[in-house]
Amino acid sequence: MTDPLPWLVVLPLAWASVAFLLGPGRGAVLAAFGVALQCALAFELAARVQAAGALRYAVGGWGSPLGIDWYVDGLAVLMLGLTQVVALPLLLYARSYFGHAGAAGRYFWPLAGFLIGGMNALFVSADLFNLYVTLEIVGLAAVGLVAAGGGAAQLAAALRYLFATLLGSGAFLLGVALIYGACGTVSIELLGPLLAGEAPRAVYVAVVLMSVGLFLKTALFPFHYWLPPAHGGAAVPVSALLSALVIKASFYLLLRLWLDIFAPLVQPLAWLPAVLGSAAILWGSWQAVRAEHLKLLVAWSTVAQIGYLFLAFPLLATQAAALDAVVFQTVSHALAKAAMFAATGVVIHVTGNDTVAGVAGVAQRLPLTLFAFALAGVTLMGLPPSGGFLAKWLLIDAALAEGAWPLVLVVLLGGLLAAWYVFRVLRQAFLLAPPTEVAVRAPRLMEWSALLLAAASVALGVRGIELARLIAPVGAS
Amino acid sequence: MRRGAVGVAALLFAGVLIGALLGLPAPGAGLPPLVTAQMGNSGVTHPVTAVLLNFRGYDTLLEVAVLLVALLGLLAVQRSERAVAPGAAVEPVLQTLARRAAPLMVVVGVYLLWAGASRPGGAFQAAAVLAAGAVLAHLARLLPAWSAPRAWLRTGITGGFLVFLAVAVALLGGGALLQYPPAHAGLLILLIEAGLTVSLALLLAGLFLFLSEEGTRR
Repeated sequence: MTDPLPWLVVLPLAWASVAFLLGPGRGAVLAAFGVALQCALAFELAARVQAAGALRYAVGGWGSPLGIDWYVDGLAVLMLGLTQVVALPLLLYARSYFGHAGAAGRYFWPLAGFLIGGMNALFVSADLFNLYVTLEIVGLAAVGLVAAGGGAAQLAAALRYLFATLLGSGAFLLGVALIYGACGTVSIELLGPLLAGEAPRAVYVAVVLMSVGLFLKTALFPFHYWLPPAHGGAAVPVSALLSALVIKASFYLLLRLWLDIFAPLVQPLAWLPAVLGSAAILWGSWQAVRAEHLKLLVAWSTVAQIGYLFLAFPLLATQAAALDAVVFQTVSHALAKAAMFAATGVVIHVTGNDTVAGVAGVAQRLPLTLFAFALAGVTLMGLPPSGGFLAKWLLIDAALAEGAWPLVLVVLLGGLLAAWYVFRVLRQAFLLAPPTEVAVRAPRLMEWSALLLAAASVALGVRGIELARLIAPVGAS
Repeated sequence: MRRGAVGVAALLFAGVLIGALLGLPAPGAGLPPLVTAQMGNSGVTHPVTAVLLNFRGYDTLLEVAVLLVALLGLLAVQRSERAVAPGAAVEPVLQTLARRAAPLMVVVGVYLLWAGASRPGGAFQAAAVLAAGAVLAHLARLLPAWSAPRAWLRTGITGGFLVFLAVAVALLGGGALLQYPPAHAGLLILLIEAGLTVSLALLLAGLFLFLSEEGTRR
């Protein structure tokens, strides 16, 4: 078999362009086949990385510093796999969803293709300028998806998201320019030794700019202001893609930089993301508890769950389990949040009501979808045996070993608040329904893809060892 | 009050940036010597084109994707059915001028495309001139605004990107993605640039013409 790596970048770009060629609203089948093939390629790549260790690939054959390099280690391959695996059921879901949503789906398929292609390119790139270009593809495609076919409120949310994402990538680009000015290269491999020694002032400014830019794109508290309206207002498959994957792409880049070339410079600042993350967990969960609209509740829950990703930052240098916790949180949240948005979409479609109060009676009408929502909730709350439980367990373990008990408190409190907002919905769902009017049938495909994603997020807790083994080389280095 | 705070913050930020720039070390060798050393293998003789289309051609591929995504986003928020018809007001002087300028702009565009191999120029510049020609013709009411893109327009807009992608994939056989054989690099780069000129011209013109409501009868 040929090298799967270049195809993972080329294939989504190709099917996205062809979907646009075919015309508005076309390309769903093409997209599904494309992503299914990408899943197979990602697994093949994972097998290769596990067998032979991290891979380096010189695009154009030049190699850094003249050309652009790709670098694929366990962490990169994990993100590649996660993206394709979550995207596949979501695209099947979207096919059914946009079947009856008209104008909103006209350019969904090409935009989704560029979004996935951009993320794949981001995960493998080892060149700071190239990473900026991939950030732009992902950001603009995400904004286009949020804005598509919406009313005034949705356009306003998309515009706010556009400003946030452009400011984020602008700050990142300014940082890249400063680093190039100071070091004369944008290759991450060559920058490692250059930044380890005495770095000029410009590099410190660059590190701050790039980190803040990525905080903004990842929606870390207090930069989360754009997320609830954007994720709460978009079409359901778009909300799911954005909440599950897009914010993880900028987070992955931040993690990669902080673990690798920025590590010697940011060590004294490592507590800062943890403080912001704690605030995100408490504030985001509280807003989810108070939310009136179902999709806003799920979107605020994303703000809270992002917080957990940052809690582990002060522990990364000393505790190997901290990185495992971050990875498990990334994967389990991606699966659970995709499932939760998907289930929410089915509920809204059937009840025609997007408020939490409107969920009443869903337990009788949509038992399968409610089960999916509850399973996803189990992961978000961190109950055993889910992937979320494993992530929080590892995090608490690492925090206790370090004596960082405030982090433990935040994790426990966050779990309680998550239980509050999940049970708010479940309790409402078991209330007796008001006398129903004409019953809308739930599309099978939508119900089952939600359940599949939710089940995967719980099952992750049982089969977590494989993932841990995949990223082991990163933790060791 | 709020304005003042923003102003102070901006001034502080500018000060920090200037401080950082003043502290930069003297420019070392950097990348230019490497580019010069490899020029012979790049297939072109102008260093900017060599970097854009060969050494860092993959960046350019993704940048074209960024432009495509921008246009897709614009199309996605466009109201679906707009009646676009030639308007009434006509400026005879402007129209005559635009008629005279249009062929010249096409010639300049093609020249820029060809010149890119050896001196400043290339697909992006050529496309910008061609797109400006289309905008000029539109403002002179010679060209109506575009509504939803028809098949020929969609083909034109994505064609250049697909050619670029196809070349990148075809070169996989010889080693890596976008690894040109030095003997054929010049020809392949010209092929890619020609495709990109057409597509980018339509794309850049589209960013204006899909949004415009000029010429719409109210």
